[in-house]
Amino acid sequence: MIQRLFAPFALFLVIGFLIGPFLIIVAASFSAGETLAFPPQGFSLRWIAKVFTVESFRDSFATSMMLAIGGTFCALVLGIPAAYAMSRYKLPLSETVRTIVSAPVIVPGIIVGLALLRYFVVPFGIGITPALFLAHTALVLPYAVRVVSASLANLRSDIEEAAVLLGSSRLGAFFRVVLPNIRGGILSAFILGFVTSFNQVPVSLFLSGPGVRTLPIDMIAYMEIVFDPSVAALSSLLAFMSIGIVFLAERFLGFSRYV
Amino acid sequence: MKKVILASGVALMLGMGAAHAQEKTLTISVYAFAQDEFKKIVYDPFEKLCSCKLVVETGNSVERLAKMEANKANPVVDMAVVSMADALAATRSDLIEKIDTSKLSNFDKLYDIAKDPNGDGMSVGYTFYATSIAYRTDKMKIESWADLLKPEYVEHVAFPNVTTNQGPPALYMLGQALGKDSPDLKGAIEALGEKKDEIVTFYVKSSQLVQLMQQEEIWAAPIGRFSWAPFTKLDLPIGWATPKEGQTGGMNVMVLAKGSKNQELALQFMDFWLSTEVQAKLAEALVDSPANKEVKVSDQVANNITYGQETAESLKLIPSDVALDNRNAWLSEWNAKVGQ
Amino acid sequence: MFHNRAEAMALALPAAVFAAAVFLLPVILLLAEGFKSAEGWSAAAYTGFFSEPINQTVFWRTLRLGAIVTVVSAVIGYAAAFAIVNLKPGTKGRMIGLVILPLMISPVARTYAWIVILGRTGIVNQALQGLGLTDGPLRILFTETAVFIGLLQLFLPLMIISLISALENMPRDAVPAARVLGANWFQVFWKVILPLTKEGVVIGGTLVFTGSLTAYITPAILGGSKVLMLETLLYQQVSVANDFVSASVIALILIVMSFAANLLLKRVATARNNR
Repeated sequence: MIQRLFAPFALFLVIGFLIGPFLIIVAASFSAGETLAFPPQGFSLRWIAKVFTVESFRDSFATSMMLAIGGTFCALVLGIPAAYAMSRYKLPLSETVRTIVSAPVIVPGIIVGLALLRYFVVPFGIGITPALFLAHTALVLPYAVRVVSASLANLRSDIEEAAVLLGSSRLGAFFRVVLPNIRGGILSAFILGFVTSFNQVPVSLFLSGPGVRTLPIDMIAYMEIVFDPSVAALSSLLAFMSIGIVFLAERFLGFSRYV
Repeated sequence: MKKVILASGVALMLGMGAAHAQEKTLTISVYAFAQDEFKKIVYDPFEKLCSCKLVVETGNSVERLAKMEANKANPVVDMAVVSMADALAATRSDLIEKIDTSKLSNFDKLYDIAKDPNGDGMSVGYTFYATSIAYRTDKMKIESWADLLKPEYVEHVAFPNVTTNQGPPALYMLGQALGKDSPDLKGAIEALGEKKDEIVTFYVKSSQLVQLMQQEEIWAAPIGRFSWAPFTKLDLPIGWATPKEGQTGGMNVMVLAKGSKNQELALQFMDFWLSTEVQAKLAEALVDSPANKEVKVSDQVANNITYGQETAESLKLIPSDVALDNRNAWLSEWNAKVGQ
Repeated sequence: MFHNRAEAMALALPAAVFAAAVFLLPVILLLAEGFKSAEGWSAAAYTGFFSEPINQTVFWRTLRLGAIVTVVSAVIGYAAAFAIVNLKPGTKGRMIGLVILPLMISPVARTYAWIVILGRTGIVNQALQGLGLTDGPLRILFTETAVFIGLLQLFLPLMIISLISALENMPRDAVPAARVLGANWFQVFWKVILPLTKEGVVIGGTLVFTGSLTAYITPAILGGSKVLMLETLLYQQVSVANDFVSASVIALILIVMSFAANLLLKRVATARNNR
């Protein structure tokens, strides 16, 4: 009984802690003041309007979206088969593969950026956009493999073995039996990957170049000297966009049933 | 239908490629600062003038130098703007080339300090700024840099981190005020270290200072003049100190990448940027203080930027070689005394 | 379990080759610079690093802060994830949405929000004074506490999400069964839940620990540069000193710390299984 009451209360506190800063940022986006403040000073839409007048935000937003969606998609295409192989086959080098694939998580971003620039991008003469794309795919790959692995780990493998015994091809069994059951995991992986890529700073810092920048880098550059509530407004707009994405995902994939 | 779309897409791309090939391209590397204004005042008009295309890379001085270094064998950037000390660093790493100032028609209009800041002919200053103390005039009186450390003030002070552009100049002035002005900045760093618990923060981003000032978290902080304008919008009495030791500051310079294939165009661009007209417009937009002495601005604008012959000559700048040779020593001294 | 090796390799290799080429090799080449010296290979740079007292202080501080953030987020994470998985599907989805939400906001913007919340006139201090707990404003901002709070908020969602998917996949009857057999809540957690959600806590823990280790902006802004961390040193070496050898030394230390944390978490989570 105590537990019944305690759990929602604890959850309320945790959620409050997590989204508290977000509420400050949203409040500031609609404020009339020159700085972030709580309670906000007056109401105005001028900061929201200002976001749309900053020209470079538009290009870098497109770049970031392309990297986040495309990079995460490629990472999933590479990562799901790998996760599947590691959980369903007796793979001789399973642990090695897992370590290689998940290495990007534990290396400080600034080192990744520097290393890729000096030993990958420059020697092979790779263009800026492809370099960013490859790097973002590599950075998202660990999330793809790990989260999908986690949802495969507890999915009983006898269902697909049964499907194979009943005459389905291995591939058919994968698409018809396994994939629907790990949808939630894939979606979580996609969201984590998307967020990681979208907020990535240090790697993009070194790999961006003339004419190509990502949004977080643009925002940081903008904030270097001025921090007015327009940055808060942009952050809120991005957050609302992500709420929209999660909402759509929920609509179409029934996300909460599968996570 | 699909085929038609595909075909026209391919045709479009080919066409764009062709148009691209005919156009000259100039790649510049600049500070990621006020880019919308720069586009309006500098980039767009120049593209029209030269009928060429400008590709812009932005970022702070150090990262962009690191990229230039990595791309040394096959330079991507044609011209860059960096800090004075970084220009010297680039000279030492053999990344940049001598600037043929005879090709710059506006060269003679520059203040003397901007003509050849490092005395090696490798860079030309295009803007400079003063660094002094922004402070609450109702709470305190700042007559010397050392006033920041007074017991009644020190708990309301933010000081720039040594790794920021404002850090070393501010330390340099503090050292002068304390009578311990050696190039290793030891005296000043030590004095700060003793008060490190009292000082509110050693800031890394000047943008946070407006926020802290508004919240009355701080009353004073050494800042560069280029970040002054937002403070004037706050509903608080904030003044710009003129300490008796004087103001310090910094200068940003233009450099020419070694091995660039567009040197003529790069020089043309530099000249355009240094012209009285462009420099005046940048000043009026409160973007950059003019290095061109022919620029005349209103009092209101002059109040918000670093303006005039007298100001230019009074700035106590740290010589680039001193900054470069001592950078690592400052850092380890700082980490030991302040960051511990 | 399938046994076709060629098939397994064909599935796993593209990812491994991609990660090795685009990521691992360049990083290894850079890290190797930390072992180069005038007379060939040596670990001199590492012994040099640890011989400086300041570096030792920073190392221990980084380790301590990372460990605290990880442990606290695991404790809170389990409680929150438990509460969430037991909700009705619709509410659950919304809660997960709320947990993910902060991840979408630029970390830099979030640190500014903390300046508002933790400042002398901020909400926390107003509440403390209003409740009569303190007389004057406490200095929270620009201390290690502020860095801790910032890091926790930054990485807790990763822990909660990892734990939710692990808990979801846990057999429904495991906990009631253990309860029926007379286990108390602590035993249930230690002997049943932890082993069954091991994958989740290992992933979440590694992400949180590594994230705290390699965060730059949060300690820099919320710590007021008084809370020097390894990542700050690394950043200084790259951006100020241009010393890539020292930078790669610090980077490898950070990597080893993350790796060790990952192994430790695996051990803690699986050791229970064998008893």
